[in-house]
Amino acid sequence: MKLLYHAVAEPIGLSPENFEKTSGALHFRALLFSNRLVNNMSDATVMLAAIKQGDSKAAEELLVLVYDELRRLAASKLAHEAPGQTLQPTALVHEAWLRLVGDNSRSFKDREHFFRASAEAMRRILIDRARRKHTGRHGGGYQRVDFEGFDLAAPAVDNELLAVNEALDKFALDHPIQAELVKLRYFAGLTNEEVSEVMGISVSTAKNYWTFARAWLLNEIGNDGKT
Amino acid sequence: MTIFTEAIKVLIEDRATFLDIACQGDENLRRKVEALLRAHDHLGTFLEEPPAEASIE
Repeated sequence: MKLLYHAVAEPIGLSPENFEKTSGALHFRALLFSNRLVNNMSDATVMLAAIKQGDSKAAEELLVLVYDELRRLAASKLAHEAPGQTLQPTALVHEAWLRLVGDNSRSFKDREHFFRASAEAMRRILIDRARRKHTGRHGGGYQRVDFEGFDLAAPAVDNELLAVNEALDKFALDHPIQAELVKLRYFAGLTNEEVSEVMGISVSTAKNYWTFARAWLLNEIGNDGKT
Repeated sequence: MTIFTEAIKVLIEDRATFLDIACQGDENLRRKVEALLRAHDHLGTFLEEPPAEASIE
């Protein structure tokens, strides 16, 4: 157990007491982690090259890799930050890039697939958290924060996030490109300029899409609230 | 989407006339665009802030 702690929990800033409490959850993943820690960087580079060649399985694998990395980074940051500090998804995504690919000189087009995976991963992470808190509140009890969980600031924030997510699914049916743009902007934190480069559209088109998407989503959420 | 994108550039007092021309009697379309325009007028900073403020207790 002690060796496991040093290999896995200590590097991500988990205290011995918290590690003990959550070792059940961690244990089965630790074996995977200790093998993957050295391989992650080359894995991501290989996957990105494969995705460019049209390998869809590589895209799925990249999503899993990115998802794991973002969750790890989030937990690590929260373990080190003072209470009340907030997470910045944008910063997490950029740090995940540095850790997984490590090449800061690549153009945004090269990072396209990585950012798309990050947007989807970040979306799932945040929605999972919001749903867990939502369930916890309706269940009447306050959910204890576990090492990889974090408490969202207020119920209103959770509800808006869940509402946006649901509306986004509906939006994507008729407007898939604009929905993708929303994911990149909102969940991966890209600017209009970055999005335009990643998606291969002009900045003014990106701005138009963004404005339209926001109006559509706000209208959709507003309508739901009127029932 | 295109009608919406153009409509938001038009002066508010000219919107009705613009929609008359753009929607060409399609009331369903006009209703949809008007709903979007109403939402647009109330956007504020909707979605412009990072998704969720996550903090530990």
